Amino acid sequence: MSVPPEYYLILSAAVFAIGVFGILVRRNALMFLMSVELMVNAANINLIAFAFFYGNLTGQVFALFVIALAAAEVAIGIGIILLLNRNFGGIDVTEAVTMRW
Amino acid sequence: MLIELLLAVTLASAFVVFLAPDRYAAKLATTLSVLPIIGTAIMWLSFDASGNALRDGSTIAFETQQEWFELGQYTLQWHVGVDGVSFPLLALTTVLTTLAMISSWTPIKEDQSQFYGFMLLMETSLIGVFVALDFFVWFIFWEFVLIPMYFLIARWGGPRRKYAAIKFLIYTNVGSLVMFIGLFLMVLNLDGLTVLSLPAITEAVLAAETLGEISLLGIAAFDVKAVVFLLLFLGFAVKVPVVPFHTWLPDAHVEAPTPVSVMLAGVLLKMGTYALLRFNFTMLPDIAVQYALVIAVVGVISIIYGALLAMAQRDLKRIVAYSSISSMGYVIVGLVAFTPHGMGGATFQMVSHGLISGLMFMTVGVIYNATHTRMVGDMGGLFDKMPYTVAIFIAGAFGYMGLPLMSGFAAEVLIFIGAFESAVITAAPLVTAMAMFGIVLVAGYLLWAMQRTLFGEYELETDYDLGRAPVHDIAPLVVLIGLVILLGVNPDLIYQVIQDAVSPLVDEGLATATVAVDVLGGVLR
Amino acid sequence: MSEIFSTAPAIVLFPLASFLIILAFGKWMPYRGALAGIVATGFSLAVSIWVALQMALDGAGPYQETLYEFIAGLEGEGVTLTFGVLFDPLSVLMLIIVSLIAFLVHVFSLGYMNDEGETGLPRYYASLSLFTFSMLAFVVSDNLLMAFVFFELVGLCSYLLIGFWFRRDGPPSAAKKAFLVTRFGDYFFLVGVVAVFAVFGTTAYAGENSFINQAADMVGDGTEYTFLNLSSQQVIDITALLILGGAIGKSAQFPLHTWLPDAMEGPTPVSALIHAATMVAAGVYLVARMYGFYALSPNVLAILALLGGFTALFAATMALVKQELKQVLAYSTISQYGYMMLALGGGGYVAAVFHLTTHAIFKALLFLGAGAVIIAMHHEENMWEMGGLKDKMRVTYLTFLAGSLALAGIFPFAGFWSKDEALFETLEHALGGADVLFVAYGFGLLAVIVTAFYTFRMVFLTFHGEPRTANAEDPHSIGWNMKFPLVVLGIGSVLAGALNMGVIKEFIGENNLFLAEWLDGATIGDEYGTAEFALSYGHYGDLLSEYAGYEAATLSPLGPGAIALGLAVIGLGVAWYLYRAPEPEPHMTKLGGVRTVLMNNYYQDEAQVWFATGFTLPIARGANTFDQGIIDGLVDAAGGVSMYAGERFRKIQTGIVSNYAALLTLGLLLLLVWLGIDGGWWF
Repeated sequence: MSVPPEYYLILSAAVFAIGVFGILVRRNALMFLMSVELMVNAANINLIAFAFFYGNLTGQVFALFVIALAAAEVAIGIGIILLLNRNFGGIDVTEAVTMRW
Repeated sequence: MLIELLLAVTLASAFVVFLAPDRYAAKLATTLSVLPIIGTAIMWLSFDASGNALRDGSTIAFETQQEWFELGQYTLQWHVGVDGVSFPLLALTTVLTTLAMISSWTPIKEDQSQFYGFMLLMETSLIGVFVALDFFVWFIFWEFVLIPMYFLIARWGGPRRKYAAIKFLIYTNVGSLVMFIGLFLMVLNLDGLTVLSLPAITEAVLAAETLGEISLLGIAAFDVKAVVFLLLFLGFAVKVPVVPFHTWLPDAHVEAPTPVSVMLAGVLLKMGTYALLRFNFTMLPDIAVQYALVIAVVGVISIIYGALLAMAQRDLKRIVAYSSISSMGYVIVGLVAFTPHGMGGATFQMVSHGLISGLMFMTVGVIYNATHTRMVGDMGGLFDKMPYTVAIFIAGAFGYMGLPLMSGFAAEVLIFIGAFESAVITAAPLVTAMAMFGIVLVAGYLLWAMQRTLFGEYELETDYDLGRAPVHDIAPLVVLIGLVILLGVNPDLIYQVIQDAVSPLVDEGLATATVAVDVLGGVLR
Repeated sequence: MSEIFSTAPAIVLFPLASFLIILAFGKWMPYRGALAGIVATGFSLAVSIWVALQMALDGAGPYQETLYEFIAGLEGEGVTLTFGVLFDPLSVLMLIIVSLIAFLVHVFSLGYMNDEGETGLPRYYASLSLFTFSMLAFVVSDNLLMAFVFFELVGLCSYLLIGFWFRRDGPPSAAKKAFLVTRFGDYFFLVGVVAVFAVFGTTAYAGENSFINQAADMVGDGTEYTFLNLSSQQVIDITALLILGGAIGKSAQFPLHTWLPDAMEGPTPVSALIHAATMVAAGVYLVARMYGFYALSPNVLAILALLGGFTALFAATMALVKQELKQVLAYSTISQYGYMMLALGGGGYVAAVFHLTTHAIFKALLFLGAGAVIIAMHHEENMWEMGGLKDKMRVTYLTFLAGSLALAGIFPFAGFWSKDEALFETLEHALGGADVLFVAYGFGLLAVIVTAFYTFRMVFLTFHGEPRTANAEDPHSIGWNMKFPLVVLGIGSVLAGALNMGVIKEFIGENNLFLAEWLDGATIGDEYGTAEFALSYGHYGDLLSEYAGYEAATLSPLGPGAIALGLAVIGLGVAWYLYRAPEPEPHMTKLGGVRTVLMNNYYQDEAQVWFATGFTLPIARGANTFDQGIIDGLVDAAGGVSMYAGERFRKIQTGIVSNYAALLTLGLLLLLVWLGIDGGWWF
C-alpha cells in the first residue's frame, strides 16, 4: 500500500491553512488571489487523494472542474484587481471601502 | 361569468389607463369606471342569492367554481360568487370608485395616467376581495389592495406621505401575517380538508367540536379555536381599525389625497369588518359568543375613545378620520350581538359609513382645494363663499351624527336595538347604552368644527381667492348625499338581502352559545 | 270609519311638499317661498280643523294606520320599524295648534323678514316648512320610534333656523348649543326607545299590543329580570325616565333648559314657533302622548311633578332681572312648560294639554308682539331703551297686553283657566294622599306671583311711561301682515279659556268642560277608552288610581282658584307699584348680589360650558396626547427600534475584505467547535 490518507489530509490542511493565513493578514489583492488559489488547491488535493483511495474517478473529474473554475476565477479576479488599481490607485484591499453602508 | 367579466373589465381598464396619455387619463378612467357600475346594476337586477354564501343551503349568486392547481394536499380553486353581505359592499366599491375619480379631477395634476391606473387597479382588487370565496384567491386580492394603495399615498400624498404610506403598508401587512398564521393554524388542525374554499373551511370548522389544544413553550395549554380567533381578530383589527391598532389611519388619511382618503375610509376599512364577519363570526361563532362581552367592550372603547380623539383635533381630515374609528366601533358591537338586527345593522353600517365618510372626505377635499388649508381656526364663514359645498357639508355632518332619514341613523338604530337585546353579551343594555353615548360626542365635535369653519365672519388665513367649487367637484357630493338619504328613507332596499345573509350566522351563534343568558327575561322574543 | 282619514295624512305632507318646492325653486318664487309656506300651512290648518269637526260632530275616529314599513327586514327576524299615523283627540288638537301657529308665523314673517329685506329667505322658508312638517309628523306618529325620528328632525330644523343669521358669531353658537343640549336629552330618549323595543317588541302607542297596554299587564307580574335583578316595575320606571330625558331636553326643563334663552338669537318668528308650538311643545306632547305609560309609575310621576314645579319657579326667578324683551319671554316659556310637567306629574292630564293649548296661543302672541316691537324699535331689544309705546302701537299694545294677562294668569284670560287647572289637579291629588305633590304645588304657587310680576314689569317697561330713546319716540310702523296674526292670537288669548272652565265647573257642569270631554273621546267611537285605543282621559284616570295610587280628594276648585288669582294679582300689583312711573327706576339693581346671580342664570351656562370645555375637552386632549404619545409612540417605536438596530448592525459591513474573511474563518471555526462538541470528538 502506498502513502496513507492521513498524510494527504495533513498536507491539504497545511496548504489550506497557509491560504487562510494569507487572506487574513495580507492586504495586497494579488496575494489574496494567490491565497484563494492555495485554498482551492488544498481542496483539490483532498479530492484526488480520496478518489485514489476509493478507486473511483469521480473525485478526479471534480478536481478538473475545480481547476477550470479556478482559472476562470483568476481571470475575473485579475480583472477586478486591474479595476481596483485604476480606481483606487493601488491594489490594497482595505482601501476599497466605498461600497459599504 | 358576470363576476369574471367585472374583474376583467376593471383590470383591462387599469392597463388601458396606464398606457393612455396624461391629458386623457382622467376622463377616460372615469368613463371606464362606469362600466363596473353598469355591471353591478345588471347583477342587482338578476341577483338571486339567498342565505349566507359560506353556509350550507344557500344560493350563491353568479358563482363559479373551478379547480385551479394543487398545492400539497390541497386543491386550490377559482371560486367566486356573491351573497347578501358581499353584494352591497361590491356595489359600494364600484360607485365610490367612480365618484372618487371625479373628485380627483381638481386635486390630481401630476402623472394622471398612473394615478387613475392605480385607482382602477385598486378597484379590481377590492372587487376581488368581496367576491372571492376561496381562501387563496381571497388572500391574493386582500394583499394586492395594498400595492396600489401604497403608491397612491406615497406618490400623490402630502408632505409626510412616505412615512404614512410605509406605516400603512407595514402595519396592515403585519396584520395580514398574523391573520395568515391564525388561519393556517386552523386549517392544519382540520382533518380531511382538501380544498381551501371558504365554505368548505367553514363547514369543517363548524363540524369540529374542538381543534385540540396548543401549548406555548409547555407553560400553558390553550384551546386552538380561541387562539385562532384571537389571531384572526388581531389581524383584521388592524384593518378595521380597532383601538389600539388604529394609529396608521389618521396619518394615512391626512397624507393621502382626497380621492384616496375616500377609498380608504369608504371601502378599505370595510375589508376589515367584512373579513371579521366572514371569518371570525361565521367560522368561530362559539368563541365569539364565549368572549362576546370582551369584544363588545373593545367596540365600545373604539367608539368612545375614537370620538374623544376626534374632539381634540384641529385638522378637518383628522376629525373625520378619527370619527371613522368611532363609527367602525359600532360595527363591532353590532356583529358580536348575534341578533338579526345587530349583525344586519352592522353590515348596513359598513355600507352607510362608506357613503357618509366618503362624502365627508370629499367635502373636506373640495374645501381644501379652494382654501388650501384644512385647519379649523384658519378659516371661517365659508357659507357665503361656497354655499353648495357648505350645505352638503352640513348635510353630511348631520348624516354622520345619525340624523334620522339618513342612512347612518338606520344603521345605528338597528345596531342599538340588536345589541340591546343581545342574549350573548353580558349586561347588554348597559354596554349598549355606553356605546350609544357616541352619538352625543359625535355631535359635539362636528358641530364645533362646523361653527368654526362654516359660520361667522368670513376669514381665511391662506392667501387664496375663494370661488365657488366647479360642478364636477359638487356632482359626486350630490350623488352621495342622494344615496345616503335614499338608504336612510328606505333601508330595506339593501337591508333585506343583508339580513337574509346574516341570519344563518345568528342562528348558529345562538345554537353554539353555551352561556346564553336571557338578558331581559321572559319578554325577550 | 270615515274616509276622512285617508286624506288626513295630507296635513303632514303639505309642508313637506312646500319644503321640497322651496328648496328647488325658492329663489324664483313669489316672496321667496313665503307664499308656498303660507298656502301649505293654511291647507294643513284647514284639513286639521275639518278632521276635528268630523271627530266632534260625526264621531269619526280614532284612527291608526301603519303607512310605511321603514325597516321591515325579514319576517320574524327582529322587530319591525314602521311609520304610521294616529289620529285621536290629542293629536288632532295638537295638529290644529301647530298648523295654526305655523300659518300665522309664516304670515308674520312676511313683515318681519321679507319687508326688512333679509337675504337667504328661501333657506328660511324652506327650513320653516321642514320644521312644520317634522313637528306635524311627530304629532301624528303612531309609535315611539317614528316620534324619535321626527323629534330629531325638529332638532335639525331648530339648528338651521336659530343659526339663520350665520354671519354673526352668536347665532351659530346658539344653534350648536340648542342641538347639542337637546341631543344630550335625546340620547336618553333613544336608549329608552331601544329599551322599549327590547322589552315589549313594539313601540306602538295604540292597539291591543301597544307597549303601554303590555306594560300595564306587566306591572307586578313578579318577573325578575336577569339584568341587574330588576323587577318589571323597575324596568318600566327606568324606561319612562329615559324617555323623559328627551322630553326634558326638548321642553327645556331643568337642567337642560340652557339652550332655550340662547335660542333667542334666531329670528323672532322662529322663536315664536319654537316656543309655542313646535320644538319645546314636543317634549310635553311626548309625555302626554304616552301618558298611559307614565301613569303606571308613581315614582316617575313624582319626579315629573317636582321637576316641573321646580323649573316653573326657578326659571321665573331668572326672568325677573332680564333686560331684553325676548329673554324675559324665553324664561317664561321654560317656566310655563314647568307648569305643564307639573300638571302631568300631578295627574292632571287634561290640565297639561289645556295649558299646552293656551300657552301656545298666548306665547306665540307675545313673541310675535315682541317681534313687532323689535321691528318698530329698529332691532333694539333692551326694554330700558323702550317705553311709552302704547300710544304709538295700539294694536300691538292691546294684543300684547291680552297675552300678558293670560301669561300672568289673570281672570278671565286663557292662562288663568289652564294654569289654575294645573295647580288644582296637583293639589287635589296631593290631598288625596300623594304627599310629595304638596312640595310641587308649593313651587307652582310661588311661581304664580313671580310670573305675574315679571310679566308686568315687561309690559310697563316696554309700553308705559315716557319714551326713553329716540327710537321709542318714533317707532317704525308695522304692516297688516304683522298685525293680522297678532289680532287672531289676541282674540284667542282672551277666549281660549272657554275650552275648559274647570274653576267654575260646579256651575256650568262637568259636561261643558269641552276639552276634558274631547280628550275623553266623548264625541268619537267607544273604542277610544278600550284596550284597542287605551288613550282616553278616563282610562288614564283609572290607570292613575290603580297603579300610581292617585286619588282625587273632594275639593271645590273655587278656593284654590281664588288663591292663585289672588297671588297673580299681588304680583301684578307689585309690578304696577314699582314700574308704573313715567321714568321707572331699575329696582332690580337693589337686589345686588342676588341680581348678579340671576343675571348669570345661576351660572348654569358656565357649568355646562365648563362641562364641555373644562371637563370633556381636557379629557379629549389627554386622550389625544396618550394616543400620539403612547399608542402611536409604541408603533413608531417598533419602527424606530428596527431602524436603529439596522443602523447599528450594518456597521459590521466595513467594506474591508479582510474583515469579512476573518468573520468567515471565525464562523467556520465556531462551526467546527460546535460539531466537535456535538459529535463528542474530545469527550
